[in-house]
Amino acid sequence: MTRRLVARLLHAAAVCAVVATSVFLLLHFAPGDPFATALDGADVPPSVRAEWRARYGFDQPPGERFVRWAGALARGELGYSASRHRAVADVVADAMPRTVLLVGVALLLGFAAGVGIALVQTRHHRRWQDRFLGALTLGGVAVPEFLVALLAMTWLGARWRLFPVAGIGGLGDAGAWPLWERIIDLLWHLALPAGVLALAVASRVARHQRVALLGVMREDYIRTARAKGLGEWDVIVRHALPNAIGPVIALLGLALPSLVGGAVLIERIFGWPGMGLTLFDALLARDYPLILAAVLLATVLAVVARTVTDAVAEYVAPRRARET
Amino acid sequence: MAANTWHRLRDDRGARIAAGVLATAAIAATFAPWIAPYDPTLQPDPVGLRLVSPSWQHPFGTDPFSRDVLSRILHGARVSLGVAAGAMLLSVTLGAALGALAAVVGGWVDGVVSGLVDVLIAMPRLLVVIALVATFGTLSPWWLVALIGGSGWLTTARIVRAEFRDHLQREYVLAARALGASRWRIVWHHLLPAVAPQLAVAAALALAAVIPLEAALSFVGLGVQPPLPSWGNILLDGTDYLTTAWWLVVFPVAAVSLTVGSALVMADRLRVAIAGEERDL
Amino acid sequence: MNPALLSVEHLQVDAGGARGAAPKPILRGVTFAVQPGETVGVLGASGSGKTSLALALLGLLPPALTARGRVLFEGHELLTASRGARRALRGRRLSIVFQEPLTALNPRMRVGAQVAEMARAHGERDARRAMRGAVDMLGRVGLPEADVRAWRYPHELSGGERQRVLLAMALLLDPALLIADEPTSALDVTVQAQVLELLHALQRERGMALLLVSHDLGVIATSCARTVVLHDGLVVEDVPTRQLLTAPEHPQAQALVDAVRPAVRSA
Repeated sequence: MTRRLVARLLHAAAVCAVVATSVFLLLHFAPGDPFATALDGADVPPSVRAEWRARYGFDQPPGERFVRWAGALARGELGYSASRHRAVADVVADAMPRTVLLVGVALLLGFAAGVGIALVQTRHHRRWQDRFLGALTLGGVAVPEFLVALLAMTWLGARWRLFPVAGIGGLGDAGAWPLWERIIDLLWHLALPAGVLALAVASRVARHQRVALLGVMREDYIRTARAKGLGEWDVIVRHALPNAIGPVIALLGLALPSLVGGAVLIERIFGWPGMGLTLFDALLARDYPLILAAVLLATVLAVVARTVTDAVAEYVAPRRARET
Repeated sequence: MAANTWHRLRDDRGARIAAGVLATAAIAATFAPWIAPYDPTLQPDPVGLRLVSPSWQHPFGTDPFSRDVLSRILHGARVSLGVAAGAMLLSVTLGAALGALAAVVGGWVDGVVSGLVDVLIAMPRLLVVIALVATFGTLSPWWLVALIGGSGWLTTARIVRAEFRDHLQREYVLAARALGASRWRIVWHHLLPAVAPQLAVAAALALAAVIPLEAALSFVGLGVQPPLPSWGNILLDGTDYLTTAWWLVVFPVAAVSLTVGSALVMADRLRVAIAGEERDL
Repeated sequence: MNPALLSVEHLQVDAGGARGAAPKPILRGVTFAVQPGETVGVLGASGSGKTSLALALLGLLPPALTARGRVLFEGHELLTASRGARRALRGRRLSIVFQEPLTALNPRMRVGAQVAEMARAHGERDARRAMRGAVDMLGRVGLPEADVRAWRYPHELSGGERQRVLLAMALLLDPALLIADEPTSALDVTVQAQVLELLHALQRERGMALLLVSHDLGVIATSCARTVVLHDGLVVEDVPTRQLLTAPEHPQAQALVDAVRPAVRSA
């Protein structure tokens, strides 16, 4: 098991390396060398300009530049953001936790809801509850997350004013409010974005989990469980679910890259100041170092999340492998 | 074998409905210039016809630039579905080619392709495309097809590689090789037909993935540029008026959702038809 | 005359009828009875419907199969009983042991817990007491080092040990009737004899009725005083086993007896 864990970590590192290299190539070989151009902009203080130029070795040949850049990256230096007047690393350090919060909450809620839906569908297989929930989950996967976000923002947010439509609330005014109120305010602002993303997660999880559960329900030990006089819910939850949940976690891991992509759009629509919104603001301002750092880190987030879910799936489902 | 699959599919009600929706969308897209009641870029009355709610003259209403929304949706179908179909064909073809190459040639080629797939599949496709678009500037729809299509070959490659490897072990291939058939012949006449059903599933799933991708890109201004209509940028044009002009949201969302949903249902029914047994799902 | 423990009257089981296809009969009117403490064998070739019979009695037929007729167990009408009533009887008064022990056990649950679950399904609230009862029962069915083995997973036990686990599960609440569906056909020959002996001993010890379903007359002959022969969905003979061995009437019964005659003769 440790061997597989190490293999996974190496794989994750390899992905990050590939992404980082691709980012470098885009930065330095795109038409017009945007990285250099960004530094030559008017609002960059000359001292900063000189410092970053030296650090990134713009006068050096490409090979040397790559090495220096990789070294800088390893040290956590991601360049200077002209649009925000701060080091990119600082901007990202603020934004990343908010994206992690959004994606994390959505994953947990969505997974729980999805499994719950699938359980109900299995209990009432082929009856109206199954069909109704099946139609709902189909809608959940057919309507793209950003469109659901748009609808939610338009109706629940703007029209009916149930939730705020933008931002993260007064969290920035540290110390201005009591902690408890700030947390509630944060949650209120988190509700719609995380809710929409959770809906997407729940729909996918429910569809996969239903298939897995129905497959397991055909096994002989389910018949044994019924022969003991167990009620149908007990049979499904205590016997079918533990055997059916492992593959679903693994599949969720596979869907993570596209979920992170969805989260990025949702942040933009709701104005949630995480990596996604940072990315879009940077796009508008043509702030290339920030653009590419945002892409890099969002990808890293997806890779890390996937590694975690793979490890969890492995933990939940190893005994199957040991059987002959 | 493929004939049985086809028959089962034909009898499947879900598949028929999904195919119907997709066919309608395709027809609407193809014949848009003739079906659309108005020119989608025409602004006959910039003041008086702004944001008119759905009526007999304008069944889908008008947008903030007083253009007829129905016509824009129809022409938008042309662009959105055109880009989607193009990207889908590109990604499936590319994926099949690379997967087949990896399976048939094996060795280091397989190692490279498989390694590449394993690594790239962890990257969010949206972000990759955004990064590329951001770096190279805004693109014509053809470039969009290339970028979106070029980024989506991974799952198809995996599927084709697995299927090919499975079939390569089978007796009929060994027999063909014993009879002196060239590798190319085996691939073309035996293996490709064998994976055709799976490719159809992959194509449907690819379509379901690409339509929202293009819509998202156009919605944030990185995809199809106005005044050329796409389902995504119809939403973009209406951003400031979404709360009052519901027709600017509902119709593009419906268009995207119906096509994506149909593609997903199609993929699912195809899978069932291929499996053959009467699955109680 | 004492009322029979189990009375099956004109039991019919049909398959299919879905999508306009004609329903296929599996059991075409089976009638027989089991007295308290009696040992009855159900002998039939594969396809005779014997497993469907066992499942029908417990109400565990798959959804594609439907049962009609009358089944009386301890005065309860089983086929028309409510779900709750049937569940209450399963395991407590009427138990079943299945054919393939590996697939009949949940691969992710320790065997002791699976046995204990029988008690908990019928009202035992104390988890520890249920587990102790389970370990005790596992010991009584001859599982070596029961207190250790109870914490193992099914794939860590041998075929014979797994079958003992299933027996422990079925007998935990001291049912009046145990149905055994091919309890030994998945086991090695040497282990088969042990399990049959165990079954026999437990039945005698508890005065429990036993309905043993098998295609192997040798198996039935060692444990059952009476034998019902099932052929093509119908009962063709219902006689004391001894009589069947020496003078079978129905040609099918004759064939089944002939198949084992040398072995049985020497027993």
